Amino acid sequence: MALANRLVGNTPDACATEITYGNAEMRFETDTAVALAGAEVEADLSGRPAPMHRTLNAKRGEVLKLARPSQGVRTYVAVAGGIAGEPTFGSQSTFLPAGFGGHEGRALRAGDVLELPAARKGEILETPVPLRPHMSASHVLRCVPGPDGDMLTGAAWNEPSETSARLDRTGIELTGPWPQLQDAAQRPSEALFPGAVQLTPSGRAFLLLPDSQTTGGYPHVLQVIRADRHLLGQIGAGNRVRVLRRTPEEAAADLRAKSALFADWLPGFRF
Amino acid sequence: MTEPRIHFVGDDALAVETPGRAQRDSCAEFLRASRQWTDVVPGKHHVTVQFDPVDILPSQALAQLAEQVQRIPDTARRAGKAISLDLSIEPADAPDLARLAAENGLAIPDFLSRLQGSALTVDMLGFTPGFAYITGLDTALQGERLKVPRTRVAAGSVGMIHGQIGLYALPGPGGWPIIGRVKDPLFDPAAPQPSRLSPGMQVRFRIIGSAG
Repeated sequence: MALANRLVGNTPDACATEITYGNAEMRFETDTAVALAGAEVEADLSGRPAPMHRTLNAKRGEVLKLARPSQGVRTYVAVAGGIAGEPTFGSQSTFLPAGFGGHEGRALRAGDVLELPAARKGEILETPVPLRPHMSASHVLRCVPGPDGDMLTGAAWNEPSETSARLDRTGIELTGPWPQLQDAAQRPSEALFPGAVQLTPSGRAFLLLPDSQTTGGYPHVLQVIRADRHLLGQIGAGNRVRVLRRTPEEAAADLRAKSALFADWLPGFRF
Repeated sequence: MTEPRIHFVGDDALAVETPGRAQRDSCAEFLRASRQWTDVVPGKHHVTVQFDPVDILPSQALAQLAEQVQRIPDTARRAGKAISLDLSIEPADAPDLARLAAENGLAIPDFLSRLQGSALTVDMLGFTPGFAYITGLDTALQGERLKVPRTRVAAGSVGMIHGQIGLYALPGPGGWPIIGRVKDPLFDPAAPQPSRLSPGMQVRFRIIGSAG
């Protein structure tokens, strides 16, 4: 989202749209600069090709059409000036589990009208190639052990796991070499953040995403490091996930290195 | 003073163990007020803080937290405000009430008077917006999480497991057996205090409707 916003002159956290599995159309009722980033989709703007990672100038009445992504899950469409709206708890994001924020607290549907700022054209920019996230069906996530990390066997670190079809913005189910839980494994509820991997009584694990619960009682065995959490939204069903072990100090170095890589293109951006 | 017990929760968060609710709440309040952390989240037995490792290295964060928790003032335990909630026990609102009462060998009215006779206190909010963990339930009452969680419970549903009540302020998935429902809204994102319940509050239930 930050990369799409950059191409239309917005701050990294300006309100944009997130399109899950493509297949969307939007008609612009004003001239505006628009840009696509995230999951790779074939797109066109009233018949003209609409490449990813490049500023597009849409004219009033033109229609942007997105196909289904070939790789990745979520495509971001940013418009110059961002989408107008009132923040809830300091954010314009939609929080689907509780039905607040964003546009009426729900996913967009056909016929919705979003308010844009006054017409503006954008200077044509392109995301530098090294900064474009690579979309793939196999993922490597750097992790530190969670508070219950000692429950894991070596296999959890060495063998890949696979995502099931149970995934949404709260989390992704992972099948893999996870230890089977005993009944006594329920913990008193403690804080959780996106990127946590919890073991569940089903013998599978759950990787939490940004709409996850804030506390929970299942064993918390892994934590995806902050530098790699931006990758989680592009993990799809049937994908393969490997984990790489890090210490907190190594993870801090990873984060600083990645932040430095993006610092020139995205000033002020924080992972 | 004994060394505080602190552990990492991933690469950018630390949890400090707190011996009880009063200590936990004053610890969370102190750490929030220090403005040193990007997030402060109380859990059952820990307070967890988050930081940005671009600003502060994990080892420095650990040292900072260890130093801070030595300075937490001993706050006198404040008596929480009391709140009375109307609990509907109509069968549609209380799908597990009859079963839970029977499993405890009690008639429904006796089961409910155990609930009403308990000194219920909001322990913490968490999980989903407005969800309240309420402790103090008569420990003679037994209850376990459902084997298969419901994909959706109604807003205001009151769940019960051994020793605890869980109040689902918003509709959503839920794994606790449901013994009733509070129909007055419990969470309003537009309100200055979005959640009607807050930690430390004493809760009383007034039974309305009939279990049929």
